[in-house]
Amino acid sequence: MSATAFASRDFEPLVHTREAQSISRPSLSYWQDAWIRLKANTRALVSLYIVIALMAFTILGPVVWNVDPSLQDLDQISIPPGTDRRATLVAPYQPWDGTTFLEVTPGLRLAEPATTQSIRLLWDPVEGLSGYRIFRNLFPVGPERALGLPLAEHFSAQEVTFEDLLDLVPGRYYYSVLGVNEFGAETQYLETLVVDVSRVITVDDAMVRGLIDEAAELQLGDVLILGLHPLGTDYLGRDMLARLMAGARVSLFIGICAPFLYVLFGVIYGSAAGFVGGRYDQGLMRFADFVVALPFLLFMILFKIVFGIGPGESGIAPMLLALVVLSWPATARLVRGQILQIRQEAYISASQLLGAKTNYLVLRHMIPNTMGVILVTLTFAVPSAIFTEAFLSFIGMGVAPPTPSWGSMCNEGIKTMLTHPHELIFPALLISITVLAFNLLGDGLRDALDARMRSTE
Amino acid sequence: MNTSDTSGTGNTLDSFSKSAGRQLLVYALMSIAGVAALMVALSWASSLTGGASAGSQLGVDPELNMITLTLREEPPQLNSTLQTDNISGMVIAHLIEGLLRYDHNNQLAPGVAERWESTGMDATFWLRDNALWSDGVLVTAHDFVFAWRTAVDPANASEYAFILFPLENAEEINKGEMPVEALGVTAIDDRTLKVRLARPTAYFEKLMAFSTFFPIREDFYNQTNGRYGADAHELLYNGPFILSRWVHGANLRMEKNPYYWNPDRIKLDVIEFPYITSDQNALVNLFTDKKIAYTTLGAESLETALEKRWHLERFMDGSVFYIEFNFRSHRLTHNYHLRKAMQLAIDPAELVYKVTKIPGYVPAESIFPLWLRGVDDFFRQEYPAQKITPDLEAAKKHLEIAKRELGISEIPPLVMLTGDNPISNIQSEYYQGAFKKNLGLDIKIDKQIFKQRLAKMTSGDFDMVLAGWGPDYDDPLTFGDLFASWNLNNRGRYNNPELDRQVYIAQNEIDPRTRMEAFAEIQRIIIEDVVVLLSYERGLVYVTDPRLKGIVRRQAGADPDFTNAYIVDAAN
Repeated sequence: MSATAFASRDFEPLVHTREAQSISRPSLSYWQDAWIRLKANTRALVSLYIVIALMAFTILGPVVWNVDPSLQDLDQISIPPGTDRRATLVAPYQPWDGTTFLEVTPGLRLAEPATTQSIRLLWDPVEGLSGYRIFRNLFPVGPERALGLPLAEHFSAQEVTFEDLLDLVPGRYYYSVLGVNEFGAETQYLETLVVDVSRVITVDDAMVRGLIDEAAELQLGDVLILGLHPLGTDYLGRDMLARLMAGARVSLFIGICAPFLYVLFGVIYGSAAGFVGGRYDQGLMRFADFVVALPFLLFMILFKIVFGIGPGESGIAPMLLALVVLSWPATARLVRGQILQIRQEAYISASQLLGAKTNYLVLRHMIPNTMGVILVTLTFAVPSAIFTEAFLSFIGMGVAPPTPSWGSMCNEGIKTMLTHPHELIFPALLISITVLAFNLLGDGLRDALDARMRSTE
Repeated sequence: MNTSDTSGTGNTLDSFSKSAGRQLLVYALMSIAGVAALMVALSWASSLTGGASAGSQLGVDPELNMITLTLREEPPQLNSTLQTDNISGMVIAHLIEGLLRYDHNNQLAPGVAERWESTGMDATFWLRDNALWSDGVLVTAHDFVFAWRTAVDPANASEYAFILFPLENAEEINKGEMPVEALGVTAIDDRTLKVRLARPTAYFEKLMAFSTFFPIREDFYNQTNGRYGADAHELLYNGPFILSRWVHGANLRMEKNPYYWNPDRIKLDVIEFPYITSDQNALVNLFTDKKIAYTTLGAESLETALEKRWHLERFMDGSVFYIEFNFRSHRLTHNYHLRKAMQLAIDPAELVYKVTKIPGYVPAESIFPLWLRGVDDFFRQEYPAQKITPDLEAAKKHLEIAKRELGISEIPPLVMLTGDNPISNIQSEYYQGAFKKNLGLDIKIDKQIFKQRLAKMTSGDFDMVLAGWGPDYDDPLTFGDLFASWNLNNRGRYNNPELDRQVYIAQNEIDPRTRMEAFAEIQRIIIEDVVVLLSYERGLVYVTDPRLKGIVRRQAGADPDFTNAYIVDAAN
C-alpha cells in the first residue's frame, strides 16, 4: 500500500498559464448591435440626419431666423425667393388731381414716373366718344386685341386721366385705352402704352418696417433694400421661412406627441391583454375592435364641441385627443400578439419555475423582446400623424389663423398654384421629406432591431 | 476548345438577355395595352351612366342653339315667396315673370302687366291676354293676390315678407294681427289687379320686378302639398324658360317656354347647367376646354386668363361689404371709442388694391354704393360721403378712452365671424393682422358655413361680422333701412332713434329731394357713429365665349340675365 504524501503546495490554486477562452472583441449589447447595423444602412442613417435637422429647424430655427410669422409685409406680397429687393425711397402717397404731367407728347402717356405706389396715365380727349375703358396687360396686346384686365370705365369723353393702384408689382405693363361710343359699344379708338414699373417705398413705410431709423437718414430717391424673405412671402406678405418654422412646431408636435402617447397606451393595454389571456383577453380585444370601428373625423368634431373650442381657437388639443383615443388599438393588437407568442417560449417557463414574479417576467423578458415591434410602430405612426394633421388643417379643422401649419399652408398655396407655386411647393416639400424620412428610418429600425438578424461574427 | 467555350457562354448569355428583353418588352406592351383598354372601357361605362346630363356638351352649341353654364351652388328651392339668395333669384327670374320686368337696358318694362297706373296711394295693373302658364292656362290677377298673400302669411315664414310691407295691412298680417285676406291687393276681375298701399312708396313700381312679387297659381300650389318649387315638376312657369330637368346636387336644364307671351325676345332654345361648382380652377379649366360659355374669375386665375388672351370684362354687382359691429350692451363693441379707433386704424384701399386684387373692387366710402341714383345724378355725386383717412395716433387715443370707459386695462380678443370662402378668409386674416399691428388688438376668426354664420348672426354670437348687402330693388332705401332698429337684417341690434327717423322719412316721402336728404343723413350717421367698418364695393371680372352675345348685367334684380342672349355663329 503506498501512501501518497501531500505537500502543502499541492493545495495552492493553479496559476493561469494561458487564456483558456478569450473574447477577442468587446461584447455587444442589444442596443449597440442595433446601432451598428443601423449605421451600416445608409438610407436609414440619412433619414436619421434629416429627422435631426428637422428638429433643429423647428427648435433652433426661430432663434436664428427671428421673424414674426404673422407679420404682413404688404409691399412684398406673394414674392418668390430671390426677388430683387431694391426699392427707391419716395414721398408719402398724395391723391392726384390730374394736373401734373411729364412731357408733352400726344396720345396715351404717363403723367408721373411709374412706380409701385401708383401709375398715373393721361391721354387726349377724343371728339365723338362718350367714354373710355382702361385695360392693363402683362403681355403685349396682339392683333386679337386681348387687352387684359379691365381696370376702369370712364363715362365722359373729357375724363382723360386714370390712376392705377391695383396690385402694382415691378415689371412691365401694357396699358390700353379703348374709346366707347354713346351706346356703350367699343370704337376703333385704341391707344396702348408700355410702362416699366419700378419698386418704391415711402419714408413712413420704411420707418415702420424698421428699414431706416430716422427720416433724415436717407434722401428721397435713394435706393434701399427691403426686408429679406429667403423663401419668399405668401398671399399676405408673410415670411414663408418663419411660417414654415412655426408650422413645423404644430406639425411635429402632433407628429411626435400623439404617436408616443397612443403607442404607450397600446403597449400597456396589449401586454396586459396578452399576459392575462383567457376571457379577459377576449374582452379587452373585442373592445379594441370596437374602438377601431369609430370614425376619426366625427370624434374630432365631437371633441371640439365638448372641449368648448370656441371660434378662432386652435383645434390642436381635440386633434391630439382624438388621435390618442382612436389610434391605439393597432399597437395593442401587435403587442398582444407578440406577448402571446413569447409567453409560450421555454425560457419563460424556466424563469417561472425559478420563481420569477409577473413584474419581472413582463419587464425583463416580454417588453424587451417586443421592443423592436414597438419602435417600428412608433416610427411608422409619426408620419401618419403628421399626415393626419396636415389633412385636417387642409380641410380647415386644425389650427386657427394666423397660426400656420404645413397643412393649412398647402391649403392656401394650392389656390395660387399656377401663379405663385412657391407658396405650395415649400410646405408640400417639407411634409413629403418629413414623412419619407420617418418612413425610411422606421424601415431601418425594423431591420436593426430584429433580434434574429443580429450580426454574426 | 477554349475559344468555343467562351463563345458558347457568350451565346447563351446573349440569347438569355435577348429573351429576357423580349419578355420585358412583351410585358410592357401588354400592360400599356391593358391600361388603354381599361380607359376605353371606363369612358364607355361612364358615358352609359352619365347619360344626357354631362359629357359631350359644348359651351356654345350653335346647332342646338344651346349654351352651357355653371351654378356656384344649387338653389335651395325655387319657391319665389321663400327665395333669399341670389342664385335662386337668378334661376327664378329666368322661369317666372312678374307684373313688370327689367329690359336689356335695365329699364322697367311691361311683363305680365300690359300697362299700369299708380296714384301714390294705390296702383292698378292691367294684365295682358296672352300671358300663359306653362300648362296653357291664363295668368290671372288672382294668381298675384294668392302669391302676395302667401308671402306675407306668417305661416309661410318668408324672410322677405318685409318687402311687401308698403302694402296696406301687410305688416299687421305678418305679425299675425290680421287675416291674410286683409292684404291691400284685390283682383277686380281676371285681368285687373288693384293695389292699396299703407304709405306712399316711391319705389313701388320697381318692387314689381322682384321675385317675392311673382305670381303663383293657387290650385297648382295646393296640389304640390307644400313642395312647391322643390322640384322641376313641382313648379309652374310663365317666364321665358321652363325648367325641364333638375337633378338635385347635379344639374339643371332650362328650355324655351313655348307659352311665353313674347317668344321673339327669347333666342336661345336651351340653357344647360351641368356643373354646380364654385372651384375657381375647375371653372377656368371648363372654360378653357370650351365646356362652358361664361365664368367669373378669381384673383388667382387672372394671370392665367391674361396668358390665354381672353377678353375680360368687369362688372360691379352693386353690393357693399363691411364689418358689422355687435351693439348688444354686453359686447365691448357697443363702445363708440373702440369702434372709432378701429375705423381710424384701417385703410380699405390697402385691402382692395393689395390683398383682394380683383379689378372692379372699389374701396367703400359709404353704405350707399356708387351706382345708386339720386335726384338728377348719381346719389354719391350729389351727396359725397365724409372721407375717413387712417390716423394711427388718433386711433390709439380713442382706444385709450375706450379702455378707460370700459374700465379694463386690456381689450380681450374680439370675435370676428366670417364666411367660409376664399375672399372672406383672406380678408379676415388681413384685418386680423392690421388690427394687431396698428392697435395691438387680438382678433379671433370664427369661420362658419353660410347657414351657421346666419344663425350666429341672428343670435348675436359675435363681436364683429364680415357682412355684405346686395340690393333688392333699385332705390337707396334697400341699403338705407339696413340699420333701422326694426330691420331683422340689423344683426348687431343697432338702435338710433335719429337714424330710425330718417329711415321713416325716406320710406314715407315721395319727393325725391326730401328722400335723398334723408339718405344723406343716414350716410352721415353710419360713418360718424361707426355703425359699420366699410370694406369695399364688390366687382367681378368675367369672361364669356365670344360667340355668345346679349348677356345683361344688373345691380338690382337677376344677374346675369341670359333671357336676351343669342349665339353669333362664326360660320354665318
